[in-house]
Amino acid sequence: MEPRGSSGVGSGNSGTYTPEIAESLRFEEEIQSLIDPSFDASSAAGGSFTALLGLPANQAVELLHHPGPGEPPASAATDTLRLPFGCSSTFVERAARFSVFATDDSPASSSGGGLSPGLKAEPPDSDSPPTLPAPAGKPRRPSKRKECEKSKVSRRPRWGFLSRKAVAKKSKSAEENTSAAKPAAEENTSGDKLPYVHVRARRGQATDSHSLAERARREKINARMKLLQELVPGCSKITGTALVLDEIINHVQSLQRQVEFLSMKLAAVNPRIDFSGLDHILSAECGPLAVASGCGGGASDPAMWASDTAASTGGIRRMPAPPQIWHLDVVHPQQSSTVWENNGVAHPHFLLSPATSLVGYDPASSVPLNSNRLKTEL
Amino acid sequence: MRASSRFKSVFLEQMLMGFQLSGFPCRTMSLRARMQAIKLSADVAMAVARGSRRWTHGLIAHLSKKEDNKSFLKCILGKQYERLTMPCYSSWKIQRCKTILRRSFRERFGKQKPAQACTLARSLVKKRAQVLKRLVPGGKAMDGYSLLDETMDYVVCLQAQVDLMRHLLGAFEASKLRAQTKGTSSQGRKSIKDETDGNKKDLIELCMHLSDNA
Repeated sequence: MEPRGSSGVGSGNSGTYTPEIAESLRFEEEIQSLIDPSFDASSAAGGSFTALLGLPANQAVELLHHPGPGEPPASAATDTLRLPFGCSSTFVERAARFSVFATDDSPASSSGGGLSPGLKAEPPDSDSPPTLPAPAGKPRRPSKRKECEKSKVSRRPRWGFLSRKAVAKKSKSAEENTSAAKPAAEENTSGDKLPYVHVRARRGQATDSHSLAERARREKINARMKLLQELVPGCSKITGTALVLDEIINHVQSLQRQVEFLSMKLAAVNPRIDFSGLDHILSAECGPLAVASGCGGGASDPAMWASDTAASTGGIRRMPAPPQIWHLDVVHPQQSSTVWENNGVAHPHFLLSPATSLVGYDPASSVPLNSNRLKTEL
Repeated sequence: MRASSRFKSVFLEQMLMGFQLSGFPCRTMSLRARMQAIKLSADVAMAVARGSRRWTHGLIAHLSKKEDNKSFLKCILGKQYERLTMPCYSSWKIQRCKTILRRSFRERFGKQKPAQACTLARSLVKKRAQVLKRLVPGGKAMDGYSLLDETMDYVVCLQAQVDLMRHLLGAFEASKLRAQTKGTSSQGRKSIKDETDGNKKDLIELCMHLSDNA
């Protein structure tokens, strides 16, 4: 890693190059060609750095420091291959090869600690930043990039800001950065699935009972949200709590509006409908259900509200109606509308009809028995 | 997730009973009054059929606030009426300490932190939660988790209600059509009887449909 006086990377340094370095340089060249469509690979005499030199210094620095497309994205061969600029197969292949190099040289390749051994060797050096986990903080990346570049750039005295002394300093600072950023990496990587030997606890969290409880509560809420997503149509694709809640709100509002609209339509249709006959039909059809579920009589009253399940028709029996009206209705079970007209003037809301319905619900039981039962429930 | 058939049948019975209670054959009601009566009976039927849930309590408490509805509710609920319409159910609010509220107000209107992504997301979610609390009956007294729970239940019941009402409407309209066609052919008292028969047929169909669906 000595600064080279010569301008041309390729020919002058070929003697000191290891094949991996040549590979890395070609790698860089490829990256450059992918970034810059106007970049002419052939003009670069044997190495990417001449090509880089072709650019003005600022631009090159930008490319080096910007964590965007200029960065070799392959974090691991099989894992997250971020290829922001097209999937070149050779690119992928080379990235894979480099990551293999990296893993060879630095066992904890994914961790930040893998950098210090990586600093010594060049090809792993070029790949230790790529093998870092994707969510690694941005301030870390330029430092890694600097490290990566330092080995190659050390031959370029034109990169003033990356002179050897500066490089040494930078490597130290990079190390400091990495050590400082390690907890961040830990926190990030503990969430990622990376091949750690040991698992570190999340920063300041796991042992705290409050946070555990909070996490449990959050998971409960997330489970409920998922159920709601399934319930509301068209919600399963949406990610994000706020949007899902939006959909739920819209759905509830639309359902409420539908109820109002339907009730208006029913009101429009209704005037001629004779409700008395309906109860008999209902009793006939739903009788088995009612009888089966609601034979409790008085006991069904509290039971209905105590239990969560849809209760029996026992609730219907709880009608406080004056007994005289019952008798009347018991006598005339079929004539509901006439009974209404006779007795319903004073209290139109009171319940001849429930009495008829009550009678209707127990068609089998005898009349006096029915009235007795009703009386007991008062 | 669909409501059970038993729920639907109880719902239907309760609703029809409610229709009768509100004195439907009485022609003097305007359309709007009839609509309100139908809606009231439908809501009460839904609450009664569902049983004891927080939103049902809230719904009944909300409905009993109006003077007109009180007699209706008394009839339907009977003994339960007194218990269910206690002030605590209607004006249920989470008790919050005044000093904490004051402090939070001060924070909010004092220094505003730069909007970070997490706080922004949280505020969005909070706003929507507030809207949902207004929609779901009795939602003001619920915290986040129970709010979601009650919302789920409420949505299921609302869907069943809409379903039932739609079927009911279909049945009534069919009977009306039948009555009209029969009315053109044979007039007089016979038409009323035919109507009741038609109603019966329709309601039989409705019940069959319900049982089939469930």
